[in-house]
Amino acid sequence: MKKPKLATVWCEACAGCHMSFLDLDEALVDILAQVELTVSPVTDYKDFAFPQIDVGIVEGAIGNEENQEVIEHLRRQCRFLIAWGDCAVFGGIHTLRNWLSKDEVLHYGYVETAGTVNGFVPSHEDIPRLLDKVLPVNAVVAVDGYVPGCPPAPEALAYCLKELLAGRLPALPADMMHFD
Amino acid sequence: MMGINNQPVKIKIDGQEILVDPGITILEAARQKDIQIPTLCHHPALSNRGGCRMCVVEVDGAPRLSASCVTPVRDGMEVVTVNERIIETRRTILEFLFAERNHNCMFCPQSGDCELQDLAYELQMDHLTVPQSFREFPVDFTSAYIGLDHNRCILCGRCVRACEEISGCYVLDFQNRGPDTLIGFDLNEMRAESACTSCGACLQVCPTGALYNRYRTHYAVKGHPKDWHTVQTVCPLCGFLCPTVSTVRDNNLIKIEGIVPAGDKRPGAGQLCYKGRFEVLKNSDRPLLHPLVRQADGSWAEENWENALDMTVAGLNAVRDAHGDNAIVGLISGLSSNEEFVCFRDLMVKGWETEQIETLENSGFQNIYRSGPDKAQIFKEVSWKKIDEADYILAVGVVSHDSQPAVGALIRKRIIHDKLRPAGIGPDDFLYPYGAHHIPVKEGDELFVVKAILNEAKKIMEKNASASGADKIFDQPEPATAQDIVKKLHFDANTRIALDGIIRDYVDSANPLIIIGESVTGQKDLSGLNALVDLALLKGLYDNERLRLVVLKPNGNSMGAYKLLNRFDREKQAQTIPKGGLVMLEENPAQNNPYLKIPGDLDFLAVISPYRPAGLADCARVLIPKPSWMEMDGTCTGLDGCEIAFRRKVIDAPAEIKSSWETLAGLAARANVNLDYDSWDALRLKAEREIQKEVCSEKA
Repeated sequence: MKKPKLATVWCEACAGCHMSFLDLDEALVDILAQVELTVSPVTDYKDFAFPQIDVGIVEGAIGNEENQEVIEHLRRQCRFLIAWGDCAVFGGIHTLRNWLSKDEVLHYGYVETAGTVNGFVPSHEDIPRLLDKVLPVNAVVAVDGYVPGCPPAPEALAYCLKELLAGRLPALPADMMHFD
Repeated sequence: MMGINNQPVKIKIDGQEILVDPGITILEAARQKDIQIPTLCHHPALSNRGGCRMCVVEVDGAPRLSASCVTPVRDGMEVVTVNERIIETRRTILEFLFAERNHNCMFCPQSGDCELQDLAYELQMDHLTVPQSFREFPVDFTSAYIGLDHNRCILCGRCVRACEEISGCYVLDFQNRGPDTLIGFDLNEMRAESACTSCGACLQVCPTGALYNRYRTHYAVKGHPKDWHTVQTVCPLCGFLCPTVSTVRDNNLIKIEGIVPAGDKRPGAGQLCYKGRFEVLKNSDRPLLHPLVRQADGSWAEENWENALDMTVAGLNAVRDAHGDNAIVGLISGLSSNEEFVCFRDLMVKGWETEQIETLENSGFQNIYRSGPDKAQIFKEVSWKKIDEADYILAVGVVSHDSQPAVGALIRKRIIHDKLRPAGIGPDDFLYPYGAHHIPVKEGDELFVVKAILNEAKKIMEKNASASGADKIFDQPEPATAQDIVKKLHFDANTRIALDGIIRDYVDSANPLIIIGESVTGQKDLSGLNALVDLALLKGLYDNERLRLVVLKPNGNSMGAYKLLNRFDREKQAQTIPKGGLVMLEENPAQNNPYLKIPGDLDFLAVISPYRPAGLADCARVLIPKPSWMEMDGTCTGLDGCEIAFRRKVIDAPAEIKSSWETLAGLAARANVNLDYDSWDALRLKAEREIQKEVCSEKA
């Protein structure tokens, strides 16, 4: 049997979920024996055309045009999309900026922050523009499974992957749930 | 619906047939049988609201689910607490709550100790199916104790009910309507401008992080609840002896909460005050870990225990040898335990024939017990628990916030629930705006008003022949009439009405209670205290043995100090010129504490203290560390001097610190004092016997 293909992407987030994934330690070896990890910040394999894959995993909220493009493309290319972490599931800490307008956010971040001297808001056609609001992934594309947590515990991620390998969509049991 | 003849009703919950009392709710019936129904706005200490609908159940297969916390049981009722529809409903309600405001657990100080979060886990709410509002709500951090973040509020109204039902404050209520609804203080004030007394009942019942303790809530401090343990003890800070639960992590105190079913008529339902709940959590002063000895150049040097104790005894011996008996004073904190009082007293009296042991606060209240041999015989005050029974309360010179903050709450609850119309005399109108009458006089002037009330009340009652205890009344040197006092203190019309009202209400009352505050007991002029005793006597004794008076005391164990240290000849004391002293501290006294009577020219002073005592350290020669009250077992005496409560150790003292017993017994051995007890436990029994010498009928 061919190994199922897995891709993970990192949108607006701190990479903590991927750290937690690496924190699976030796369990990672077992998992990687059963799946083929394609595009991922972990593999640093940058083929953003994403060949057709089985499971797409997203860490992070959708906060700019690039995030949106990536997640929409990933959704098209994968059979099951799983959201990892509070940012992808609920929007997380980034949603704090939803109280401000885009201009206020940029001005605050690049000009007003303590320690900034002669700051200015960078602008270039290559820099992705912010969306009006930071959104959880399921507000942008359909999501098939969720593993909340900031970050999710390695055990919860392992549970999620094992469930997927067993052909089930993951639903965390109560004792594995945590939002912090 | 309720069983007419109080017959138990038969209901079925999840197929299980049970018999329950009529009139209880489905939720209560289920909990009696250990059937779990999740709740959010329901709290065991509060009335039911039925607002959150988390506890919905299916009754008799009806198409609409019913809130079990407000639905009474009915004979033959069939209840289903769990099925797919119910779970889905509960989860949807939860999603709405999360989506409405900004519930971000990862930066909430309450995460891990949050009922909303627990429910989300329990119902496996792993995402939201409804869009979030991302609306910004205000925050209020104008209180040093309580943080209010409306972004985390779910409008369950527990705090509103707690403010009314537990603390009798009515400060919190809902403001605005619909999605704009906010919990507000008073008429939409900020917390600092409101009438909030910072009792913290609201944050104890808050199921989320909307209202939270600003002390020790950082995750780095409090860690995860799985690492916590709790200690049940009593709060020793004011003599009410409120039962508390202290939460501890790694020997760090995290929070202090009131107990819901407290019992023994002490404040229940989680009630505490700002002192017991927050002040204790303030970062304490710099702890003293090793004995310190003053060097010739004025600096401090660390010393070992044996030498520090040797030097203390040698220093005090030298003072006695140079100045004779009676030259050494003892000062001890009024927060110390009964054991410490007894041991300290025995050491000082037997070791150096000390004639004077004082506490570090205004002990003026003790005058009331010393105001004449006849009166001392009959002077027994009632317990503050009688506040619950009185039909009239007159508070004289009470500054409730200072000494016994819960007094105000107890009286306000009587006002709300029993339509009691109490009155106050003195600078602080702590019953505002609920009290019937208030006479705003400056501190010290209360006694003139009291004398006038006494005379007028006496006149009326003699005319009616209703003064049951009038024969015992002492002569008043200058009988003042209401007229005199109105002229003397320039009362305005409203105050005049209040004065007449107080006289009338007092005369009409059958079971009045007078609460005396520090602004009266602190005065040198004892005539005010005498007049109050007489005024109480007008209405006869409570249970034929106790005066209708509650005397507020300045410190937690002030009454223990009075009972255990009051063994001295006052006349002789007045002649004492202290030349040396031993001080035993509990809290760090303020630098300008007027009761810290240390003359500048002391030959020798040693201080036993949990902290580097700020002002005192300048005149001390030896500093000896001790555990703070939280770090050791001890007993404390209640406000009325009858109740004794055991205060359990909450956290461990630093390993290098020796216990109070080791220090005091060590000093005793060096001073050749033979203590007639050989352990802290034996000491406890002795202290208990001494406290109970005065027969206390109320002591269970």
